Amino acid sequence: MKRNDIILTMIIILAVIATWGCLKWHPGRAENTHCIATITQNHKLIERIDLNTVSEAREIILPGKYHEIIQVEKGRIRFKEANCPDKICVKAGWLEKPGDIAVCLPNKAVIKIED
Amino acid sequence: MVSTKRLTTIAVLVALAIVLHLFEALIPIPFPIPGVKLGLANIVTLLALVLFDSKTAFLIVILRTVLGSLLSGTLLNIAFFLSFSGAIAATCLMALLLQLAPAASFKFRFSLLGISVAGAAAHNLGQLAMAALLIKHTGIFYYLPIMLLSSVPTGFLTGLLLRELLNYLQSSGQLDDFLI
Repeated sequence: MKRNDIILTMIIILAVIATWGCLKWHPGRAENTHCIATITQNHKLIERIDLNTVSEAREIILPGKYHEIIQVEKGRIRFKEANCPDKICVKAGWLEKPGDIAVCLPNKAVIKIED
Repeated sequence: MVSTKRLTTIAVLVALAIVLHLFEALIPIPFPIPGVKLGLANIVTLLALVLFDSKTAFLIVILRTVLGSLLSGTLLNIAFFLSFSGAIAATCLMALLLQLAPAASFKFRFSLLGISVAGAAAHNLGQLAMAALLIKHTGIFYYLPIMLLSSVPTGFLTGLLLRELLNYLQSSGQLDDFLI
């Protein structure tokens, strides 16, 4: 191992720390200021909600093969109830950060919070 | 005209690289992260770069990724594009570093271990760049620190293996048979 190899390894490890730090303290992510949730079904946009401006909780009933209720509150959204087979969408829980996503494959429904 | 010796040497190295490429998939890695692997096929790439030239190394890399994915049934899959772009990126960087290595200035000289680590890092970066292009989800970059970090021990290990291999070839006098 020559001196230059050690420098090179150090650079890689520094890059690891730098990228990790950038992802950990990403500006938009930490403050969570602008959360826009989109609900899509069959690749069609059903509704686009700015979660920060939601004043009172409400529920959206999705059409389709299965009966699904989406619950919207200030700053968060979730699949509240569904009668699809696996209920993976319900188990995904509340979505509140940009990048969070809940999917119901049987009903072809996706809730996503935009980054 | 291509000499028979050159043709057979390249063929043997391609076969070796494919076997390592496929064999690697069979080794369980004590990591819960998918995508982290040893990169054993990189040994052959660096060996080709050391013994021959970058043109031969690129030929071996392209043949290895195409034939390897044909054998494992992932040809033109996402997995194929990932390993292809990773391998090309690694070969580019390692060729560049090797070009710098014999230069007179001490400043840019790297040992095989360092070049191997750099190649592993370039492999992971190329792979992630391709993954980001194909998947188009920024979440893929959460992999970046883990993949880069893993490239240090895996690159070090493959570099060590290559050094021992070259030492063995030299001491047993087989190195001259390889040279075209």
